[in-house]
Amino acid sequence: MKSKVKVLAIMLIITALVVPLYAGGATDSPRANETSPVEEIIKQAEGMSLEELAKKAIEESNGKMFYGVGNSSRGKTALPLFISYLQTIDPNYTLNYEWQQPKNNKIFDQLTADSLKSTGTFAMTLIQDGNQIESKMVRTGILDTFIPKEWAEANGTTADEYKGFLPLQTLNKVFMYNNTGDKEFDNVWDFVAPGEHGLFMDIDSEIVGKNFLYMLTSDQYSAVLKDAFDALPEEEKATFQATIDQVATDADDLGLGENGKYALAWIKLWVESYNAQTDDGPICNTLVSQSATDQFGLIVYSKLRSVEESATVSKKFVDIAAYNDGYKGFGGFGYCHYLFVTDNSPLPWTACAFIAYMVETADGFSAWGKDIGGYSANPVVAEETEAIYKHKTGGMAEDGVTVVYPALNDRGGDWWLSENRLVLEDPSYCASVSFTVGSWIEMLSKYTPN
Amino acid sequence: MTSEFTTTKANKSRIRKNKMKTFFSKPENAILLLMGIVLTISTVAPIYAIVKDTISIHPGTIDEFISKRSSGYTIANYIDLFTSNLAKRNLWDPLVNTILLSVGSCVMAILYGGVFAFLITRTDLKARKYLSAIFIFPYIMPQWTLAVVWQHMFSSNAVTGTSNGLLASLGIVMPAWWCVGLFPSIVVLGLHYAPFAYILIGGIFRNMDANLEEAATILDTPKWKTMFRITIPMIKPAILSTILLVFGGAMGSYPVPHYLNLTTLSTKYVSMNDKYTGEASILAIIMMLFGVAIMFVNQLSLKSRKNYTTVTGKSGQISKITLGKVGRVLIAILLIILTFFTSIFPIISFAFETFLPNPGDYSFLYTGDTSNLTTKWWVTSENITENGMYGQMGILHNDTIWKAYRGTIWVAVCCSLFAGTIGTMIGYAVSKHRRSKAASYVNSMAFLPYLMPSIAVGAAFFILFSNQYFNLFNTYTLLIIVGTIKYIPFASRSALNSMLQLSGEIEEAALIQNVPWHKRMLKIIIPIQKTSILSGYLLPFMTCLRELSLFMLLCTQGFILATTLDYFDEMGLYAFSSGINLILIVTILICNTVVNKVTGASIDSGIGG
Repeated sequence: MKSKVKVLAIMLIITALVVPLYAGGATDSPRANETSPVEEIIKQAEGMSLEELAKKAIEESNGKMFYGVGNSSRGKTALPLFISYLQTIDPNYTLNYEWQQPKNNKIFDQLTADSLKSTGTFAMTLIQDGNQIESKMVRTGILDTFIPKEWAEANGTTADEYKGFLPLQTLNKVFMYNNTGDKEFDNVWDFVAPGEHGLFMDIDSEIVGKNFLYMLTSDQYSAVLKDAFDALPEEEKATFQATIDQVATDADDLGLGENGKYALAWIKLWVESYNAQTDDGPICNTLVSQSATDQFGLIVYSKLRSVEESATVSKKFVDIAAYNDGYKGFGGFGYCHYLFVTDNSPLPWTACAFIAYMVETADGFSAWGKDIGGYSANPVVAEETEAIYKHKTGGMAEDGVTVVYPALNDRGGDWWLSENRLVLEDPSYCASVSFTVGSWIEMLSKYTPN
Repeated sequence: MTSEFTTTKANKSRIRKNKMKTFFSKPENAILLLMGIVLTISTVAPIYAIVKDTISIHPGTIDEFISKRSSGYTIANYIDLFTSNLAKRNLWDPLVNTILLSVGSCVMAILYGGVFAFLITRTDLKARKYLSAIFIFPYIMPQWTLAVVWQHMFSSNAVTGTSNGLLASLGIVMPAWWCVGLFPSIVVLGLHYAPFAYILIGGIFRNMDANLEEAATILDTPKWKTMFRITIPMIKPAILSTILLVFGGAMGSYPVPHYLNLTTLSTKYVSMNDKYTGEASILAIIMMLFGVAIMFVNQLSLKSRKNYTTVTGKSGQISKITLGKVGRVLIAILLIILTFFTSIFPIISFAFETFLPNPGDYSFLYTGDTSNLTTKWWVTSENITENGMYGQMGILHNDTIWKAYRGTIWVAVCCSLFAGTIGTMIGYAVSKHRRSKAASYVNSMAFLPYLMPSIAVGAAFFILFSNQYFNLFNTYTLLIIVGTIKYIPFASRSALNSMLQLSGEIEEAALIQNVPWHKRMLKIIIPIQKTSILSGYLLPFMTCLRELSLFMLLCTQGFILATTLDYFDEMGLYAFSSGINLILIVTILICNTVVNKVTGASIDSGIGG
């Protein structure tokens, strides 16, 4: 036994000692600066219409296997619609497909591992978390951005002019609360008041939640928090003032703007009070239950769609805080589902055509568009989607006048995405503060019911 | 001179060849050599990969931020993990929680399983057969399902800040330490692993030499003294084996602490993986070191094992303790109630859950209105109409679930066949050379992956097979390789134990008759030891069916049932996860019954009355 342990120990020591020497000449990732064949195809594709791209896709992938990977399972719903569209051009076209949805941040590991092959498995991806996309996928040259021509036109820009990633949609997570009690939420600071424990997916489980907190420290959103704070009655202000003063030095040390202390104070109070849950689903199940009096959560808006009415469960029991008259501050946060072609895509033309189909047509977006709380980044598609699904009046009775479920009347992307009603993710800003503000957040003590 | 030299050289070479021929003419030698090489590679390679990962720079993570480089190697991860302001939060607190959880689970499993085994095997308790069968149910079920049931039972608006669970609805509010954290995690894992203790300790109780206790009785030794001086020392090896199996299992458990809100090394590994990838790998190594340490302790304990000899009269059979007319019934009722809550209630709860309109919505209980029940979770055949199904089709029509089911069966069957066969071969070869160092080495190497926490093994294999040469993420091949390596000990241990009981003369007789090796195995050895060997196939099969911690890093969520189940549980879609649980339990029970009827082998083989 002793000899075995010795052998094992020697092996580990050799590994630890030899590998760094062996790796002496490592350099920074070279792929990011070279133009790959896929990038060349993307360049051409950016000048083509959807129909032209569709013809290229048919040429390239007829009868082949298409692998996609994404944070949203709906990619699996969109693919057959895309195939049907291609079949309107060539009825004999066929495509086998597989859509994978890894969990626990594995999508980044999976794409990184796949990028090591000369020709990858995945043709494209639908991915969230701008921060990690920026630092792990784009700077390293693993993913390439493709800007479809008609999408750019709809947004009054061109592929060359547009800077940033291609968003399929902006999703929102909004503050909603159980209204069976008499508690009112009319200011974003109400959610961090003493004794409040909002239900929220842990920031370590879903990184977009962490990005939301990073964004609060930007000049734009810290000003929103300052304004909301100023609107509080004096006695409520006094409740928060001590925390704001306490973090003022940290805000300076972190190089934040003049209102940074308001952001840090809100973040501190939130992290130290929220009641972490495994997913938005269980939170929604809780909030719509009659017994969850005065509970609130910060969850994906669209979760409400799946609640079935029963004796003790109803969508009526929930209100959206931002819809309250006179509400001050942001009503939640927004993050994007981005679309990318992998830099070693086995089917780059098909990937481009599929991406264009999803962002340029209402049919392509329908997998997501049928739900509230997801707003197409293409204004034309957004308008068509609203015309089809009528989300703005989704909570009305059949007469179209009586409000049955106020929470289901989604005020739409135009409303949510304006006037700082949502804290919107900026990948570059998130990446820049990830290890400064990020480390500060990690030092905070999270709330646990025990 | 030259020709003499050439002749000597030729002779030496011939002698070497003959020696090798003689060596390989014994199949057990070939097996030991082959397995020695294969197991060394399969154990060392992932360890190498994960050690390398701890010093590699990962773009977008802390090591890049500290080293200011996006590739190459650094020791920044070690320095940051052990010395930064976050060391307490990222390392020491989770480590303490992990140790407490592992120790607590061992104690709970041994106490509950041991007492149960004693009552079943050494007393005249009523309903022993039923209790024996029902006791292993928590092991059959995925471990976190008990955690979910715990949540459904005890969560409350007042304490956990969620909707009311069953007890809270009846006005009973449990304190926070009962609802979440260390205590419920220990209870859940203890209940899950108690069948290990039951099977191992029960096996000894059933087969133990009755002479020792009889002798004590003849010498008028008080019962408590007999218990502490004879019975407990006799079951010490089984207790150590239980610790061996449970400690690593509890340490590597991800879902139970995750659902019950306890931060352990496993949950920290997952949560740190995005920004602190290299540091997460160090956590995995720390967990692996515990595995190695446990193996070391086990080896020490084997060396100090005691033998006993009786100097009084002899006894023919094990004497059963009489619990009394009332006692045997009363204790049986108590155990039936207890096992109802650990084994039957979860199944009833799963079944009910699949008929509720919303997850956890027990409206029908409060209102008495059965129209608040639905069959939609089973029979809905489309996903266009939004009827509270989260865009999913009913279980009977859900492709994702059935594809995952087929995948799971495929992985379980392959792992069972490979692990069972390789383990049996190892058991056979080791038993033939029981005193040799090579055999001891192979035996230990085969056992090592089992002692390493599942999540750490999964992490190591993920890193090993995610490169430009081998990219096996999300393939059944990877799951089968990892499952086989992890579960070989199930078969090797049971095969070794049974082969050691087999007299060498039986095989020697066949050898004299020139019967080839494969025939000796198939016609003599395997038929004699079929029960033990089959349990070496059955355990990997069952464990694979509901394994999550080992596989969760190696595939996507719809790939096998355990990841699909976890996905639905996390999403709060308890109807689907409960339905999958029922499918799993029914599958395992059918398999166990079929194997039992055909071969006589079963998981609790012959312990219960």
